Amino acid sequence: MSSDAHGTHSPGEPGRGPAPAAAPGSLPTPTPLTTDTSAPATATADAPTRVTPGDTLAAASASPGPASPGPTGTELTTRRPQRAIGFGFFASELSVLFRRRRTWAMLGALAAIPVLIAVAIRLTDGGDGRGPAFLDRITQNGLFVGMTALVVSIPLFLPLTVGVVAGDTIAGEASTGTLRYLLVSPVGRIRLLVVKYAAAVVFSLAATVTVALAGILIGFALFPVGPVTLLSGDTISVGEALLRSMLIAAYVTLGLVGLSAIGLFISTLTDAPVGAMAATVVLSIVSQVLGQLSQTEWLHPWLFSYYWLDFADLLRQPIEWSSFGGNALLQLGYVIVFGALAYGRFASKDVLS
Amino acid sequence: MARTWQRWVPAVAAPAVVAVAVVGGVFATSASADLPEKTPQQVLELAAASDVESFSGDVQQSADLGLPDLSSVPGGSGAASGGSGSSAADADAGISSALELLTGSHDARVYADGPTKVRVQILDQLAERDAIRSGDDLWLYDSGDQTAVHSTVPAETEDGSTGSGDDVSATPLPTEISTPAQLAQKLLDAVDPTTDVTLGADTKVAGRSAYDLILTPRSSDTLVGSVSIAVDSETGLPLSVEVLARGASDPSFSVAFTSLSLDTPSADLFAFTPPEGTTVTEKPFPEHGDGPATGSDAASAGPQPVVTGEGWARIVELPVGASVTDITSSPLFSQLTTPVDGGAVLQTTLVSVLLTDDGRVFAGAVPAEQLQAAAAAAPDVATPDAAAPASPTAPAPASPAE
Repeated sequence: MSSDAHGTHSPGEPGRGPAPAAAPGSLPTPTPLTTDTSAPATATADAPTRVTPGDTLAAASASPGPASPGPTGTELTTRRPQRAIGFGFFASELSVLFRRRRTWAMLGALAAIPVLIAVAIRLTDGGDGRGPAFLDRITQNGLFVGMTALVVSIPLFLPLTVGVVAGDTIAGEASTGTLRYLLVSPVGRIRLLVVKYAAAVVFSLAATVTVALAGILIGFALFPVGPVTLLSGDTISVGEALLRSMLIAAYVTLGLVGLSAIGLFISTLTDAPVGAMAATVVLSIVSQVLGQLSQTEWLHPWLFSYYWLDFADLLRQPIEWSSFGGNALLQLGYVIVFGALAYGRFASKDVLS
Repeated sequence: MARTWQRWVPAVAAPAVVAVAVVGGVFATSASADLPEKTPQQVLELAAASDVESFSGDVQQSADLGLPDLSSVPGGSGAASGGSGSSAADADAGISSALELLTGSHDARVYADGPTKVRVQILDQLAERDAIRSGDDLWLYDSGDQTAVHSTVPAETEDGSTGSGDDVSATPLPTEISTPAQLAQKLLDAVDPTTDVTLGADTKVAGRSAYDLILTPRSSDTLVGSVSIAVDSETGLPLSVEVLARGASDPSFSVAFTSLSLDTPSADLFAFTPPEGTTVTEKPFPEHGDGPATGSDAASAGPQPVVTGEGWARIVELPVGASVTDITSSPLFSQLTTPVDGGAVLQTTLVSVLLTDDGRVFAGAVPAEQLQAAAAAAPDVATPDAAAPASPTAPAPASPAE
């Protein structure tokens, strides 16, 4: 089965690339990718078994197996199962990611931030007006716990966890020696990049939602909850406030998309995942430091961290959408540039580990 | 190997595509318009005849007046207008907050539906300062410290007439940031024989084609090099104002619409009730919250200012009186000013303010030396009854060109 799949795989590659997410896959390269540099085709027979530390058997190979029919048919008939394979691969990648103890440890740490803030405020009964934005509003309205936690975690904790996941994408597989097997199984390099990247983005969303949701829940538990005062002085109902909290989570996730692309690129450069993670996190800090310096003011709108704290624009009345749009455009630029770089590096790379 | 370099093609092409998109976007917004020919006088009339009363838009103000960065000063961005007590600390907060608006760049949203329904939102990071006028009610709301100030506008007072005059620190109702239209109107009202009016190339501001009116002071005594006002070709509404210092190539102060809609904004925007948990202060109208503001504001706010000189080189003198130590003792003061013979000077690229040791303030869009000369020429006035700078009374016009 796998040799068949491998055979059909190469010519169909460019069409399959963009399936899971709109990322570097859309590049017009007719070149088949999995030929020269990967392991010999004979290895495919037992390749699909993919072992990651902490997991016994990843579903990567299990689900595509039955989905791909026997001998090669026409292009049309092979496309369908291939798309199914792409989705199956993505699902398996997600299940690998979210079955890792490290992922849950990071999400747990993120959830602890609003809890810590809320408990501290509860025990001390407010503050003296100092501290991060929205902190002094928590005692009046528990829904602000999530906002405060986001303000606190955006500069470091979120980039840190996202950097760990994004930096681990390719380099992690390379360091455990599973990358080679992953590539000889019916997985093209573009698709591998796209799926890995999509998984990192999903983690960004999970991380942001964790902070926001934990904040809302602990806020409900410890503080009175009522209509929320916006920055403009207008008041909105609890339901709309929850809706806006989710919008904010989406906004913050969007802001991390560019960082994930950078992490993906760095991850293709090295076989040491720790190095890629550290470099990604350091870059996010460098970007924020540059954003603070008035000497580099011309550079500010180009930094991927430029819009990070502008999520408060969603707390105005009416909502100021311009930062949402600006953020999306900026992050799109980062995804295009670093996605293409990651593709160039990964597609031309000799995978030896 | 050919295949290897081919795989890098997207990596090279992607930045190029992004760069082209960015450059294309910049060109699209800065493309010049081609408008029917008009004389400067016709454009002045067009602006004067503008009757746009309902609009909403985003305004960007940026100032590069050579003032130190005040974002590090405590209270710099917080208390917008609440603190105008007489203690030095309160005055500090007020001064720094007003000065903060004169440094760096600020975004604001402006909604207007006639002269009595106006809302200005200054969009700070993670905070917002609002000024809402609805009928006779005037609200100033600051989300940073959750304070609101309420005043009732006397019926006969018109909106623009209470602003203090200086062209740089013009602070008309209802906020510290003025729209391009408000600012431009002041400048256009002041066009007189000391000003040379010309037309620049047609421009585009906020996606609308506009005539570029350039006011150049004839006098060489003033710090102001030129003022450029973009006047909307359709409605005559001033869309942007740029003030250049003499010899400078970049504007020292600019305020411009970045987007503009001429639709009537929703009525909800003008209805304001202070939210729960807000500290509400009632204030009589004249003290509507500009606080001590800048030195030049203080100059225009005192009693009986003495004006010398004319046109753009006009110098305004007023006594500050006993509370001078209140000002001079604050750490902010020493940070902002440089001591000179007989006092201290606050020097910006457009305006100089001299505070003499005997408690007089001289301000004008002129070099500091001229202020010193004026101070030396003018007789000392003892002013025990002068108002403290922290509680300005009705401001008097002090525009250099009025």
